[in-house]
Amino acid sequence: MRSYSSRACLIVLLLTLCMTTAACNVIRIKLNTPLNQDDVAFIEPGKTTLTDVVAKLGVPDSITDSYLGVVATYRFLDMKYSRVNFGYLLKPWTPVDPDLIISRTGFGIDAFELYCDSNWVVTHQSFLRQLSGPLFNPYPF
Amino acid sequence: MSVGRVLSIALLGLLMTQGCAFSRGTLGDEIRADAITAIKKGSSTKAEVLALLGAPDRLLQVNGRDVFQYYRYDAKAGSLLLIVVNFSRLSVKSDDLFVILNREGIVEEVISSKRTDGLEFRFWPFGE
Repeated sequence: MRSYSSRACLIVLLLTLCMTTAACNVIRIKLNTPLNQDDVAFIEPGKTTLTDVVAKLGVPDSITDSYLGVVATYRFLDMKYSRVNFGYLLKPWTPVDPDLIISRTGFGIDAFELYCDSNWVVTHQSFLRQLSGPLFNPYPF
Repeated sequence: MSVGRVLSIALLGLLMTQGCAFSRGTLGDEIRADAITAIKKGSSTKAEVLALLGAPDRLLQVNGRDVFQYYRYDAKAGSLLLIVVNFSRLSVKSDDLFVILNREGIVEEVISSKRTDGLEFRFWPFGE
């Protein structure tokens, strides 16, 4: 009798756990390979050429012209989305489909820009943004 | 049938009805490696580049030179649908080729990279 009740408790506990985590979605979207300061530490303004950079980081996503030279841009994205639908808890007791959704999307859009002179030598380099990677956190408030 | 058994079957049913999903999307034509190697710096002409690779996706003017840009995007998405919890991951990478032509229409530089080779279907959103 005792083992039956403890087993039933375990099952109820597992079902409760399943219900409370019901309709959880965790989604991640990545574009290209994110770069950080360590990845670009080898670049020495005035010495490193665009060819050297391409050999290590690959081809930039865009090359644009400017009055004083060329701008090469590496773009990357790291998006994290998580969602919980607490309305799912009411589904067994209601004929309608109630939603109580809390969700949050964390964008980690970033770009690394290189400024090259007319001889393709890097003169300046900088990250367009340096956002810290957002955590998976469905709490929007 | 006892309540415990019903609950066990229900729990087992929840676990057994899990699912997976795989999706893929591409943008642009594949950039052939043999076409890239056929382009010779200092000798290939604009017409030869066009014959090998077709019209560029973008035509730029950079640093007094014409630049042909070719690109192809590849996206792979994987999902693990466990009903109670769903995990998804979408990875997008691109292959790019820049052909830089001088004022005479001769290829001055060719830079390319193929990132899509290492692209895999993944569903686990955590970690790198």
